[in-house]
Amino acid sequence: MNIIEIENLHKSFGEVKAVDGISFTVKEGELFAFLGQNGAGKSTTISIICGRLLKDGGNVSVNGNDIDGDITEIKRDIGVVFQSSVLDKQLNVYENLKSRAALYGIFGDELKSRIDELDKLLSFKPLLKRTVGKLSGGQRRKIDIARALIHKPKILILDEPTTGLDPQTRSSVWNVVRTLQRNERMTVFLTTHYMEEAADADNVVIIDQGRIVAEGTPHELKNRYTGDFITLYGVDEENVKALDCPYRAEKDAFIVTVKNTAFATELIIKHKEIFKDYEITKGDMDDVFLSVTGKELGGDEK
Amino acid sequence: MKTTTALIRRNIKLFFKDKGLFFTSLITPLILLVLYTTFLGNVYRDSFLLSVPEFMQNEVSDIIDGCVGGQLVSSLLAVSCITVAFCSNMLMVQDKVSGAYNDISVTPVKHTRVAISYYAATFLVTLIINLVALVAGLIYIAAIGWYLTVSDVLFLILDILLAVLFGTALSSLIGFFLSSQGQISAVGSIVSSCYGFICGAYMPISQFSEGLQTVISFLPGTYATSLFRNHAMGGALDALTEKGIPVDAITELRNVVDCNIYFLDTKVSIGAMFAVITLTIAVIMTAYVLINKLKGGKARAK
Repeated sequence: MNIIEIENLHKSFGEVKAVDGISFTVKEGELFAFLGQNGAGKSTTISIICGRLLKDGGNVSVNGNDIDGDITEIKRDIGVVFQSSVLDKQLNVYENLKSRAALYGIFGDELKSRIDELDKLLSFKPLLKRTVGKLSGGQRRKIDIARALIHKPKILILDEPTTGLDPQTRSSVWNVVRTLQRNERMTVFLTTHYMEEAADADNVVIIDQGRIVAEGTPHELKNRYTGDFITLYGVDEENVKALDCPYRAEKDAFIVTVKNTAFATELIIKHKEIFKDYEITKGDMDDVFLSVTGKELGGDEK
Repeated sequence: MKTTTALIRRNIKLFFKDKGLFFTSLITPLILLVLYTTFLGNVYRDSFLLSVPEFMQNEVSDIIDGCVGGQLVSSLLAVSCITVAFCSNMLMVQDKVSGAYNDISVTPVKHTRVAISYYAATFLVTLIINLVALVAGLIYIAAIGWYLTVSDVLFLILDILLAVLFGTALSSLIGFFLSSQGQISAVGSIVSSCYGFICGAYMPISQFSEGLQTVISFLPGTYATSLFRNHAMGGALDALTEKGIPVDAITELRNVVDCNIYFLDTKVSIGAMFAVITLTIAVIMTAYVLINKLKGGKARAK
C-alpha cells in the first residue's frame, strides 16, 4: 500500500520553480531516500507533505488523506526530524518532550508510558533532567528522534539527520532508524548527503532543479546509471590500453570502467593473461548521482 | 484547552530561563531606579518644593516625598509594562529563528492557538513582573510618605492591566513581522532605550518642546503614563490642596508631572484616557487576529 502519493506537484517562489511537476509514491513500511543537492526542491516537497507550505498544483495524499482536506490527520501521521535541532535549548529533555507531546494531546500517564517505550529504543532516560543546550550533538539528535516519535507517527521524515555528526554517532543514529523501519514497520522518508545511507534504502528518488531525474531501487539505479569497475593489479598500462575500455590509473592499479558485469566477464575470458589479480565492483550511489545530475551530492557540477 | 495551557506554560518557562530576554526586559526599569536614587529623586523633590510657598515647605515635606515616590513608581510601571511585554514577546521571533516554530507548525495545533499562547504568555509574564513591581513600589511609597487611597491602588492595578494589554498587543503585532536575531536585538534596543523618553519616564512630557508634545499626544501610550501618574500621585497632590496650597499652583504641578495631558490644547479627562487606551488595545488586537487569520489562509507557514 502506498502511504504517500504525490502526483504532478508544483510549487514556485516568484519566478523560481522549486518543485516542477514531480510524481512519486512511498510504500508503507519502506525506507525511502529522497536525494538532491541543496535547492533541488527536497525541503519544499517535505514542507508541503507536512502541511507547512501550500502547493501551487498537483495532488498529495498521506495515508489516504488528501492534503487539501483536513491537514490535522496528516500531521498526526507524520513525525519530523529537522536538519538542525529545533528543541528548546534552555529547557531540559523532559520539559521539551512534555511540551511537544502536549501539542498532540498527550499528557500524564500516557506521556510517561510513551517516554518509557521510546527509552527502550533510544536509551535516553539518564538525559531527561539535562538541559538540551548542554547535550552533545549525538545526544541531542537522539532526543530529536524521540520528539519526532512522541506521538507514534506512521511516517518518520528525516531531513539530513546525520549531517555534521561524528562517524560513531552517525552509525548509532542510523541503527535506530533501521531498527524503527524493520522492527516497527515504520515508513522512513529520508533525505541525506551520505550515499551509503541511500544505498540502504528500499527506494530512491533523485531530484534536480525541481524535477525527478531518476528513481528506483539502489540496485536498479546502479545497473541503469553506472557500469562496473574492474580494478587490475600488477599490469602495465599497455595491457590495459589493449582492453579498449575507459580507465584511470590509481596508486598501484588501473580501474577499468565497463558497462555491466556480463561485459566484464566477456573481457576477462578474452584477456585471461591480463586478469591475474583483479576485483570487480559495482558503481555506487555516488556514481549514480553523478551520472544522472552531472553533479556530486554536496559538491559542484562536474 | 490543555494544549494551549501547555504552550503558554512552555513560553513562560522559556522567558524566565532565557537570561538574555529576562534581563533585557528589566534594563529600562533598572536604569530608572538608579536615576531616581542617585539624583532624579532630589531634582523632582526640589522642583516640587518650589511650587510651595517657602513658609509651608517644612509642613508639606512628607507629602512632597509622597509625590516623588508616586512619580518614581508611575514612571517605572509606565515603562516596564511596555518593555517587559516587548522582550517577552520576542520569544515568538526567537522561535522562528531557532526553528522551534517549524517544529510546532508540523503538529496538529492550529496556528491561531499558537498565536494565542504567545499572547497569553507575554500578558501573564508582564503582568506578574509589573504586579511585583507595584508591590515593591507601594512598600517604597509607604516608607517615604503614603497618601494613596484604596481606590488609587485598585486603579493602579487596572492601569497595569491595560498597559500590559497594550504592550502585549503592540509587541505581538510588531513581532509578527520579525524573523531574525538582528531584528530582535534592534527592536529590543529601540524599545528599551526610547520608550522611557517617549512616555515621559526620564523627563516629564511637559518639559518637551511644543512640537514634540503634540506628536507624543497622538501616541496612545502617553495616556497610559498619565493614568499611572494620576493614580500614583493623585493622593499626594490632593493632600497638598488640603494643606491650603493654591489651586493654581496644584494645577501647574499637575501639568508639570503629566497628570494633566492636553490633546491639541484640550485637557484629556481620565475617562477619555481610559477610552483611548482601551480602544487602541481593541484596534491592535483586531489587526493581530486578522493578520494571523490571513496568514493561516494564505500559507500555512514559512
